[in-house]
Amino acid sequence: MFDRLDIAQRHLAVKVLQVRHWQHVVNEALKKNVFPVPVHVAFGHEAAAVAIGAMMQAEDSLVLTHRNIAYNLARAGALQPVYDEYMRLPSGAGAGRLGSMNLSNPGHGVVYTSSILGNNFGVACGVALANRLAGRAGLVSVLTGDGAMEEGTFYESVALAQSHGLRCLFVVENNNHALASTIDQRRCPIDLAKLCGGVGVPFLRLSGNDVFAYASAFAEVRNTVMSASAPACVEIDVTTMNRHAGATPGWPTDPMNVDFQRGLVIAERTIDPVFVLKQVLAPALYAELEREVLMHPGSP
Amino acid sequence: MPNYITALNQKITATVAATPGICVFGQNINTGTFITGLTKNLAVPPDGRIINTQNSENSLCGMGFGMMLSGARCIYFAKQLDFMLLGVDHFVNTYNFIRCSRPTATLGSFSILALVCDQGLQGPQSSFNSFGDFCSIARIPCYSVTNSQDAARIIGTELVAPGFRMIGLSSRLFKTEFLELPLVHAAGDGSVFQYTEGGDATIACFNFSLPHGRALQQALAAKGRQASLFSVNYVPQPDWSPIRDSVAKTGKLIVFDDSKSVHLPAYRLLDEVAQAGRPFRRWTVTRGEDVDFGMSTDEFRVDIGALVSQVLA
Ligand SMILES: Cc1ncc(C[n+]2csc(CCOP(=O)(O)OP(=O)(O)O)c2C)c(N)n1
Ligand SMILES: [Mg+2]
Repeated sequence: MFDRLDIAQRHLAVKVLQVRHWQHVVNEALKKNVFPVPVHVAFGHEAAAVAIGAMMQAEDSLVLTHRNIAYNLARAGALQPVYDEYMRLPSGAGAGRLGSMNLSNPGHGVVYTSSILGNNFGVACGVALANRLAGRAGLVSVLTGDGAMEEGTFYESVALAQSHGLRCLFVVENNNHALASTIDQRRCPIDLAKLCGGVGVPFLRLSGNDVFAYASAFAEVRNTVMSASAPACVEIDVTTMNRHAGATPGWPTDPMNVDFQRGLVIAERTIDPVFVLKQVLAPALYAELEREVLMHPGSP
Repeated sequence: MPNYITALNQKITATVAATPGICVFGQNINTGTFITGLTKNLAVPPDGRIINTQNSENSLCGMGFGMMLSGARCIYFAKQLDFMLLGVDHFVNTYNFIRCSRPTATLGSFSILALVCDQGLQGPQSSFNSFGDFCSIARIPCYSVTNSQDAARIIGTELVAPGFRMIGLSSRLFKTEFLELPLVHAAGDGSVFQYTEGGDATIACFNFSLPHGRALQQALAAKGRQASLFSVNYVPQPDWSPIRDSVAKTGKLIVFDDSKSVHLPAYRLLDEVAQAGRPFRRWTVTRGEDVDFGMSTDEFRVDIGALVSQVLA
């Protein structure tokens, strides 16, 4: 248990709490139907989003999916531009033109976001190839889910990146869900370690939602990709603690219920990165950080 | 009166349940929102199959053609037309191979039933609604189902007929009352449907614009003028003569097309009628000119009142 954190660790911990807090604000707004667009909330994805966001250097790029909120919040470091975008306001991160599922933010390294499953892999390879041709350092991380990686272009792009020595990191957030289907409701298991092994791409699987562990793992993966000038793949076990899209609860008797009134933690289990953080920090330290985050809501 | 999606869901489930050996597949077809109600209560005969698939549109389109090639009957339910862009190789290359090497009667059946949305709320993506235009790239028969008459014909027979076709349902119409219309004429190939007959104007509707054409026909009727109302599906080599003959009588053609493409299927009709050589007045009601960033508007605005004044002038 930590009763003190260095600057980098403190930054990670605060970010996890901020991203959680801001998602609560968005979820409460979704309950009131204030946004003209649906939002794919990502309660449970905070540790991964914060760790990847923190791994990124100035020259790195991020390519996202429909479930991009945690990453966009982590990178933007503020709720307002994201919230405004959901309101489709000119002050939004995409000037009100991108909405939620296509939200990108080049100023913060989020160069492309697609709601079309599998559409972003090839684009990420292109960004990485352009880096290579121009002699620019820079890692391109591309996010996907256990559903979108079923598109054939996932395999094509992993091979493409390997064939051309692209500094591309494929990150699969496996929440065992695609819309309303679990993996075994729709397909056979896919052993990503073997799939990647088949084309010689290093693979790592992460679970546990500890932002500190994730941050070190991603820092190491970044070094591997940069020094080898070749891609890598990381699969993260995630539990998405909200409905596929829109507010949670999604209907009055929805058994899945998220309520900001009950505090930042959603589940008292390791599926919840905020709970995990609370477990590893001394109670007084956690309370101090939580107070700090709630006092600066960055919210509308 | 059921709404559009409820009525169509009932017709689809009835046809599927009555088709021996049918295999229906798609993402989330038997779970969640059942593709926003499209596949609710779907049941197949004992020798049939319902498959909730993985997210692999290109392979799934290929699978449908493979089944058709082997004599099986299948339907692929798709949540959005733009997701079918991932299958374009099959629509062009696989379908061409099959068409030129196998008589349709020896084939099984493959239908894609796709929801067509003007704006999937996804930002700039998923706002692809040019259904007929999409199908014209490889002359795929495609049917935009909008009312009781075309639904009876298309869902009742085309859905499981030998060969390949795409059938589109409009997300925009989902919650609207299902249009129950009279029928004057239906072409055998499902290309042209005529719902009313009148000597004062001819109205032809493309893509999913029929409700607008119907509104105009009714507004004219309220002023004592009778119009002939048609809807047109993109079917290769359609017989345009009922519309041409109508314009020859009325001298006025109002064309509605809500697809977002520049190359509207409706222009073919205008050309066809013009070639008949008789003068006629024409009104083309389409989306606004390309606006911001070269993309079409999402909203299809039609001022029926203004149209009525112009047609009556
Ligand atoms: C090509 C394509 N097919 C289908 C869809 C519809 N769709 C949107 S999200 C989704 C599930 C995606 O699952 P996953 O990649 O695991 O992401 P998650 O929502 O679980 O984060 C589907 C099928 C789509 N957006 N694009
Ligand atoms: Mg998933």
